[in-house]
Amino acid sequence: MATPVLEVHNLGRAVTQDGRVKSIVDDISYNFFPDKIYTIIGPSGSGKSSLLRLLNRLDEPTSGEVVFHGKDHCDYPPCELRQKIGYLFQTPYLFEGTVRDNLLYATKNLSDESIKLLLEQAQLKPEQLDRPTDNFSGGEKQRVAIARLLATCPEVVLLDEPTSALDPSYTEAIEKLIVDIVAKGKLTAIVVTHSPEQALRIGKEALLMVDGKLVETGEINQVINEPQSELGKLYKQRQLK
Amino acid sequence: MSTPGFLEVGISLILVVIAVVIARYWRIPVEKDMALGSVRAFVQLVAVGYALEVIFDLQSPWLILLALAVMIIVGAHAAAGRVKDVKRPFVITVTAMTVGSLVTIAVMILTRIISFEARYVIPLAGMIIGNSMNASALTASRLTTDLKDNRLAIESALALGKGWRVASKKYIRNSATAGMMSMLNFMKTVGIVALPGAMTGMILAGAEPLDAVLFQIVVAYMLLSAVTITSVMAVELTIRRFFTRCHQLQHDV
Repeated sequence: MATPVLEVHNLGRAVTQDGRVKSIVDDISYNFFPDKIYTIIGPSGSGKSSLLRLLNRLDEPTSGEVVFHGKDHCDYPPCELRQKIGYLFQTPYLFEGTVRDNLLYATKNLSDESIKLLLEQAQLKPEQLDRPTDNFSGGEKQRVAIARLLATCPEVVLLDEPTSALDPSYTEAIEKLIVDIVAKGKLTAIVVTHSPEQALRIGKEALLMVDGKLVETGEINQVINEPQSELGKLYKQRQLK
Repeated sequence: MSTPGFLEVGISLILVVIAVVIARYWRIPVEKDMALGSVRAFVQLVAVGYALEVIFDLQSPWLILLALAVMIIVGAHAAAGRVKDVKRPFVITVTAMTVGSLVTIAVMILTRIISFEARYVIPLAGMIIGNSMNASALTASRLTTDLKDNRLAIESALALGKGWRVASKKYIRNSATAGMMSMLNFMKTVGIVALPGAMTGMILAGAEPLDAVLFQIVVAYMLLSAVTITSVMAVELTIRRFFTRCHQLQHDV
């Protein structure tokens, strides 16, 4: 059996809100295996994005641990870890300058060959390389952000609602792009989405989160259509309404 | 020309009355502030005058240091009031102002530009601390605002494996520049647009213009040094509140 690339053991994060301690990620354990797409679904505020932030170590867990390639998260220098576990934000933020500037910001000394490959992977046109990104559409910006993410050669990519800030016309193209990149790039992708339909289109494995807890895991159809847990059944009912 | 006495100061209140009348005529709601400010300025400055006379007469180095400490603490408290969204901003402003002011004054004394006498140290320290106060408040508040407003930009860089210093480089530079800007503008226009206070004071007191100019140049360099050190210190102290050792941008600072 394959070794997990990323393991999560009893992971939790609690924050203080209005003087009260609230658990936003609550005792989550799961193993992510290489070369697969996982989708994390659940209602808004269920802790999906907070979990992703813990995996990339943008936030610090208050309990539990994340293990990357058999080694505790904390044993890696954070900057090195983040290059291996990349993160794509819901709203793409591009740095000032051209597409090339953005790619070189991620990794200096990228060869022309590597840049060409990144453009191909993100389905960007070669003539876009030296164009300022200011006038790019939302979909194009997200493609540039994906190319920039891939420039650090990550082994795991964390995609936080990658299409929710985009015009619906770009959704399908970005979804296909994600599936394509994972298939070709030997990557593990963990995609957060609030849409079960999108999860069905993208992934095979799904995790359902409710109130910070992982309530259902397994094959995507089963998680969405045949949940075993009470919270899972409740989520399904709400989706059907 | 003789220096004005209390009578002349009383007569000069005519100028305040003119300002109040104009404000009232134009319905600018500042008459109360003007009246209160004029009284306050009178009381504060007269009190300082008497205190300085005592300090100058006693010639005690401890009194000089005590005066500097009081000036820095009061200035830092005022500066901290202008820095929002950071807990305990006084720690930032008092540290930055102390380092910026004391380093500059120490250099002036060690190089024998001035001697360690109350007559020289306290007025110059007043200028230094006043400018440092503005620099620390401007730098810290600009940096705080920029870091809070640009979370996505900063975290986008952090998520790519950049360290916090690289991720916030633009905001560090902008805030330090903001702190120094008024000083840099002053240096550009000094002597052309306006004659600065120290030089004007010396000329009014009977000094030769060239002596006053040379002294003013030293004052300008002194203020440049103090403002730069204070701004950089304020940046370093503020930004460390925002980032953890693991290059994470804190949510609550």
